[in-house]
Amino acid sequence: PCRAQPKKKKKVDVKREQAQKDRMKKKIKKLEKAAPEMIPIEDFITPLKYSDSNRVRSLPPLSFEETERRVLLMKKWCLFKQKQDKAEWKAIQTLVEAQQEALKELRLESEELYQAAIRRDEGLFPFERDGPNYTPPLPGYDPPEGKCIDITKVYTQ
Amino acid sequence: TAAAPRPWRLFGAMCLVRLPRITQPLEKEEEEIAALMGQIELEKSHYSDHEIRKLQEEEQLRRRKESAYEDEDEAPGKTVIMAQDLEDKWEQKLLQFEAAPRITDADKNNNRTSLNRKLDSNLMLLVKQKIGNQELWLLPQVEWRPGETLRSTAERAMATFLGDHIQAKILGNAPYGIYKYKFPRAIRTEDNVGAKVFFFKAFLQSSDLSQAELKEDYLWVTKDELGDYLKSEYLKKVNRFLLD
Repeated sequence: PCRAQPKKKKKVDVKREQAQKDRMKKKIKKLEKAAPEMIPIEDFITPLKYSDSNRVRSLPPLSFEETERRVLLMKKWCLFKQKQDKAEWKAIQTLVEAQQEALKELRLESEELYQAAIRRDEGLFPFERDGPNYTPPLPGYDPPEGKCIDITKVYTQ
Repeated sequence: TAAAPRPWRLFGAMCLVRLPRITQPLEKEEEEIAALMGQIELEKSHYSDHEIRKLQEEEQLRRRKESAYEDEDEAPGKTVIMAQDLEDKWEQKLLQFEAAPRITDADKNNNRTSLNRKLDSNLMLLVKQKIGNQELWLLPQVEWRPGETLRSTAERAMATFLGDHIQAKILGNAPYGIYKYKFPRAIRTEDNVGAKVFFFKAFLQSSDLSQAELKEDYLWVTKDELGDYLKSEYLKKVNRFLLD
């Protein structure tokens, strides 16, 4: 009697534990089989507070002269941009032609110099440059102190 | 077939360009379009939080004035910061800041040796060199020595006139242009008909040239001013590879 009872407890425990483990494994498999959730792109979802109707601006409607002026201005702009683009194209063409002429003359001079000239320049790219600003840098300017805390949300799949 | 010596002497010249530091002023059409785009953006937009707050506070002020100062809500000791006050504060702060002028002193004096002139356009280096028996303004050039590539000739030309501590990014191994000329009949021989000058282009990286030991006369000029100094044939060839 004393020997039999502890044995039963052990078997039942072991069986119960095994059953529990199997259930857990099945749940894990089910979760893994489900497709991973898409990471939401925050830029494409407009927050609901911006679709309120009292947010809409109330401005007087445009007059006929105003619309006419705008249309004519856009047409002038079109022409301006086209001329600018053509001028840029032409400038690039002359640049390329001048270089081709120089290389042709160099080839006539000496073949090895020509080969050295048409070799690729590894150090040229990536080419980085700080763009021009509106005003030149102020000498001795002390920018105000501050710390930048990044609050972007990072999603993991 | 490189055995026969050619009658042309080779020179490598370097066109050192200082890129613009500030933006060019907008054309009239560009300004008009910028204003129009701003207007359209304003019309298509909705009110922002700051604007709504301003409108609500104006409403409150108006209501308070009409109902003859019934201010049980606000304790008289508490000061409320209005959106309009914030805007005034920001405006004051902006007015206190003074940016550096776009037109520098060097512009006003027309000091062509300074690098601070014409900050919105490209500046090219010109040096006075002695060719034959003439003193001419040219892009710095130096004769090619056998055993070096033309690019290293151009680098040597830059180092000769500006010293070794120049940081310039040379754009590629290939020359950008060529100027061919024949020597005057007095010096011309069978082996020495004329010279070919190959131009290379480089961008100046460091803005501080105080360490440069400039031996000869030098000038930094824009593309339009090049015509004042260079001869017409030379100028024509140089203008082909210089973008404005």
